[in-house]
Amino acid sequence: MQKSLNKKFAIVGMGLLAGRFPQHSQRSLQAEAARLAIEDSGLNPSQVNGAVDLMLAPGSGSPPMETDHFPRILGLPCKMFFSIGRGGAGGVLGTVAATKFLEMGMADYVVLSYGAKDWSRSRGPEKTGIRSIEKIGHWGKPFGDLAAVSHHTFFASRHMHEYGTKSEHFGAIAVAQREWAQLNPEAHFHGRPLTLDDYMNSPMVVEPYRLLDMCMINDGAMAFVLTTAERARDLAKPPVYVLGAGQGEAMESLWWEKANYTRLAVKTAKEVAFREADITIDDVDFAGLYDCFTGEVLFQVEDYGWCKKGEGGPFIASEGIGPNGKININTSGGLLSAYYFGELTHIAEAITQLRGEAGARQVPNARVGIASGHGGEIVSPGMCSTHATLVLGRD
Amino acid sequence: MTTTVPRPRPNINEDIRPFWDAVKERRFKLMRCQTCSAWYWPAAYCRFHANEPFKGNMKWEQASGRGKVFAFNVHRKAFTPAFEAPYVYALIELEEGPMFGSNVIGCRPEDVKIGMPVEVVFSDVEENLILPQFRPSSIVCERA
Ligand SMILES: [Zn+2]
Repeated sequence: MQKSLNKKFAIVGMGLLAGRFPQHSQRSLQAEAARLAIEDSGLNPSQVNGAVDLMLAPGSGSPPMETDHFPRILGLPCKMFFSIGRGGAGGVLGTVAATKFLEMGMADYVVLSYGAKDWSRSRGPEKTGIRSIEKIGHWGKPFGDLAAVSHHTFFASRHMHEYGTKSEHFGAIAVAQREWAQLNPEAHFHGRPLTLDDYMNSPMVVEPYRLLDMCMINDGAMAFVLTTAERARDLAKPPVYVLGAGQGEAMESLWWEKANYTRLAVKTAKEVAFREADITIDDVDFAGLYDCFTGEVLFQVEDYGWCKKGEGGPFIASEGIGPNGKININTSGGLLSAYYFGELTHIAEAITQLRGEAGARQVPNARVGIASGHGGEIVSPGMCSTHATLVLGRD
Repeated sequence: MTTTVPRPRPNINEDIRPFWDAVKERRFKLMRCQTCSAWYWPAAYCRFHANEPFKGNMKWEQASGRGKVFAFNVHRKAFTPAFEAPYVYALIELEEGPMFGSNVIGCRPEDVKIGMPVEVVFSDVEENLILPQFRPSSIVCERA
């Protein structure tokens, strides 16, 4: 079959700002990360003539009608620009869309940028309480379903019920990712190790999830520059190729399809992405699996096929996914322990690993990595119905 | 205990208004396909065949209000003062098929179990806010 992506496009620059930035607006953070990404690639900003604004779901967090988007305040001579988003899957979707514009010759270099002010808005000076409650859609909010941790527990609850998964299994994920974070100086929890006892003693927030099952929040931005493989060859950094990408949807089946509560919509996303990339699961040297909560990692370890459905808990606890584990999962520390930019967190780590710039946490001879996105609307009783897979690789 | 902070209200638009209007009358309605009898919540076109314009083949009909706990959580923390922890938020698998997110009340959180039969109860949680919540039931529904 004709390949659309396989090694035809590459990421050539990256900019990352993670932490607390109450003094900067979200779009300023996006612009600054984009500037860093362009600088990293060795390009002159005047060459970057396409841009994509990576957003969360429409209306939740990202100002949808911003007049001065980041490429405008950066002064980029853009011929194309759009916003795209679907929860924690916008980075993969934006990448796929941008490749078509590059293929059509509508842009030579496209910079994609995601910004967040989640810390400032929830804890910092712009404090407005919990991050967001959609003003449209059928939330369970009058019933007290007010935070992502509430409806995400349904997946954990079902998995525990159907397969006997235990708190300790979720805890093993939190501990493993914290171990990776100890090797990543840029991780928020660098220097703060975690034991399984610490996890078990952390307060129950929404049972069965404890505080340490939940991802962190921060401010900042992540941006990267995408171009064609030909243009990628002579730039400052080794190209990180887009090998494949795919999307899957829980809405393939009925809203109340029971299996959708113990799996994510990985099947189609993986099939398409792996076919494009011409790989099997055994070719994957490391993976950034979307980890808004520990359970999502467990489901994906099963859904991607590292073990059978239902066996994720014992597999992770015995084989390991940390620095000395059988598979390398969320090597940056992930959303749980490093920083939160949706799946851009995992794309950033994949770029870093494939360039061989990951320092103490470098996966030896890393050639192929995946970054996965998860998200979508919260429409009780359904939620986060999308899954996206990006396969990246190097020469 | 009365709280001074009101609960968040449901988002009610043209699509879901008939459901909440029925709740005000203490009736639990789901949307039903008049062609093939399939039940839906929230409002949707029937996915099993062609539909009439603007879901003309779909009607809000009285449902049993019975179901089973499919999944649930126990809030040990309330995210706003409008709620008092602990409370249970559950996914109820309705006898008619669809899932419905609501509270399980009338028993201790520790006593809620997956598969437990429940039935709807209309609670006057605040002035001008009736909610379809669920309580343990002795009637075991047919499905599942
Ligand atoms: Zn029908």
